[in-house]
Amino acid sequence: MGKKTLYSLILVSVLLLGVVAAGCIGGGGTTTSPSPTTTTSTVVKTETQVQTKTTTETKVQEKVFVRFAGWSAGETEMKNYQKMIDEFEKENPNIGIKYEVITQMFHENILASFGAGVAPDVFYVDSAWAPIFIDKGALYPISDLADKSFIDKFYPFLLEPFKKNGKLYGLPKDWSMLALFYNKKLFEQAGITKPPETWEELEQDAKIIAEKTGKPGLAIYLGNFNRYVPVAVSNGAPKPWFEKPEDASWFDNPVVKETLTWYINLYKVGKVDMENQGKKPYVVQPGDVGAGWLGDAFGKQEVAMVISGNWMIPFLADQFPDFKYGEDWDIAPLPAGKSGRATMAYTVILGINAKSGHPKDAWKFVEFILGPKGQKDLVVKAGQTLPSMKGFENDPDMWPQHKKTLSFMSQYDNVIIFLWGPKSGTLEGKFSDAMAAAMRGEMTPEEAIQTMKEVVQQELSG
Amino acid sequence: MPLFKFSSFYEKARNKEIVAGLVLISFAVILNMVFGYFAMIFAFFLSFFKWDYIGQMQFVGLKNFQIVLRDLSRGLHGTSYILAPFYTGLKNILIYTAIVVPVQTFLAIVLASFANQKIKGQQFFKVSYFLPATTSAVIVSLIFIWLFMKNGFINYALVHVIPGFQPIDWINDRRYLLLAIALVAIWGTSGHFMVSFLAAMQAIPKEIYEAAMLDGAGPIRRFFFITIPMLRPMIVYVVVLGLIGALQMFDLAWVMAGANGGPGGAGYTVALDIYNEAFTRIRPGVAAAKSWFLFAIIFTTTYLFQKKYGRAIR
Repeated sequence: MGKKTLYSLILVSVLLLGVVAAGCIGGGGTTTSPSPTTTTSTVVKTETQVQTKTTTETKVQEKVFVRFAGWSAGETEMKNYQKMIDEFEKENPNIGIKYEVITQMFHENILASFGAGVAPDVFYVDSAWAPIFIDKGALYPISDLADKSFIDKFYPFLLEPFKKNGKLYGLPKDWSMLALFYNKKLFEQAGITKPPETWEELEQDAKIIAEKTGKPGLAIYLGNFNRYVPVAVSNGAPKPWFEKPEDASWFDNPVVKETLTWYINLYKVGKVDMENQGKKPYVVQPGDVGAGWLGDAFGKQEVAMVISGNWMIPFLADQFPDFKYGEDWDIAPLPAGKSGRATMAYTVILGINAKSGHPKDAWKFVEFILGPKGQKDLVVKAGQTLPSMKGFENDPDMWPQHKKTLSFMSQYDNVIIFLWGPKSGTLEGKFSDAMAAAMRGEMTPEEAIQTMKEVVQQELSG
Repeated sequence: MPLFKFSSFYEKARNKEIVAGLVLISFAVILNMVFGYFAMIFAFFLSFFKWDYIGQMQFVGLKNFQIVLRDLSRGLHGTSYILAPFYTGLKNILIYTAIVVPVQTFLAIVLASFANQKIKGQQFFKVSYFLPATTSAVIVSLIFIWLFMKNGFINYALVHVIPGFQPIDWINDRRYLLLAIALVAIWGTSGHFMVSFLAAMQAIPKEIYEAAMLDGAGPIRRFFFITIPMLRPMIVYVVVLGLIGALQMFDLAWVMAGANGGPGGAGYTVALDIYNEAFTRIRPGVAAAKSWFLFAIIFTTTYLFQKKYGRAIR
């Protein structure tokens, strides 16, 4: 009897183990590191020399695997990256790259993988998310791995947000900046000969276009704090930076109050009030003209002007091939304020996991991707964004549209990177909510500004 | 030798049953352990800690719960929805539940009693009512966003049916967004619960109806005095499931209102807030505390409901 129970117990436990193992293999995904340790790369020992009769000695060579995670701007980008990875692996037979594409909620996924101890070795970090990763020591200081001469090849203003205590935590893979896109045909119909030079002119031109052509002159997003920031800075406000509750005083600046009210009223007056009076709106948001986003509204020629970034250029070329750059539309620098011109820059770095088991190998890969060849093949030729390395300004492979935005650089007094301090993402979202509510007329601009102040105090205390 | 013993052991019918039983339940039990109980215990543990996924966990006692309570009190004092997200989510989800659960239950009973009649083509209706339950909530909400647009089909139909009706911007108006989400939820779940009611109706003995008919009860009286009371256990079951589902609603709001709850935060729910707390504001501890609040709310409402209406059956 006792023996039987023992047997049945053993059998059952074996079966249970089998089920567990099957479950792990079936649903686990990565099985490379089953233990929840922080080392994420796997070392695979391969026997490179087969034992022969003459040698009894086997040489063991170590192959290192580097996990590389990014999001994807589409099929082409993924293919381009895979091509670069193949080339890198050919040059470095000891390093294998595992390319992992996370299409949605990228940074949330990376954070969760840190929590689980299975974060990739190399991963994208958007500028707005960078402080979270840098402050917590999640990123390996690149300045310890890279030559100074290599770092000096990059645009210096793009590196600023990724520095802390004299160390650099990542190098940008590419970048984009805001510019004014305008429809030449609609401008002509309205009798306007040149793009607006100042913010006042922007609003004025929008009104004229709406009157003359019946189409709204300007499209902006509801909310979207980052699109407003250049207005404030070009009028003399300091760059927004929120690190402690007292930094909420940025909203007490008279320039901020004035420009933020102006920006909110662009839509509140230009759309909501106009429609309430039974008139045609001169400012809209993409949804008002049946478009998904600014690029869509501009490409469909439903609006004459939008302020958007370089990412709009490949979209227009791809989706609206008959709407031609140069003939039908053109690009101008952002309008100027009382104290010059300012624009926003958006950038993404390749970060190396501080807990990576192979930072040197990871760096080798990062250097290859970010180096001149990577910049040329992945950025310049692809035509999605701008190269982060200097020296491509006159490259024949660079799209003329991108070249034009780069040529505005000398006109800007300020290039602001999308980053408002350690809680950029949350603040951006909540600021935008408050701005959107005011734009729709659900609260006054003063109430919105007060709410934004309180958001800063609430988010940064404790 | 051991092989022989194994087979002889396995041949015994009783042992066979034990092995088969344990193997069959092990899948469900293990999945439940990992994704149910482990997650629950971990969430409980997490609610006392401050963590950012990357660094070390820091014990903070009841501070996370205090943050939630402060949010609630701010909301009760009438602060803007942006500053009291949990309160906003809670308020919305209670309104949503109050609309969805009664309507979907009532509609499910009505649909089931129609499907239970011997009408020509009733099989077609059964299938078409149940179809929404087989479709992903995300796809359903995407289709409904399109139907609810200002120049969409729903407004088109309403304008033609109701004279003088002004088209409503359902999705972009904070007064109608939650109602639009509730309508989609009702559309999606009524058919599902109809099947439960249909099964319960078919289990009602025919003799009761026959006796009532002999006593001269018409179809409406039979419905209210026989069908409804006989369905009572099923109604309790459907309402409890409906309560749990409605109070946890995430997918419809995520798609139809967006992560921030859309205009005026009208489509913000507690589940959205828990997600945002964990992954946008990077405060998993507070998110866990909020989850426990939501759990407490769901537990008490379903418990009270069960206690009041569930008991009498037995």
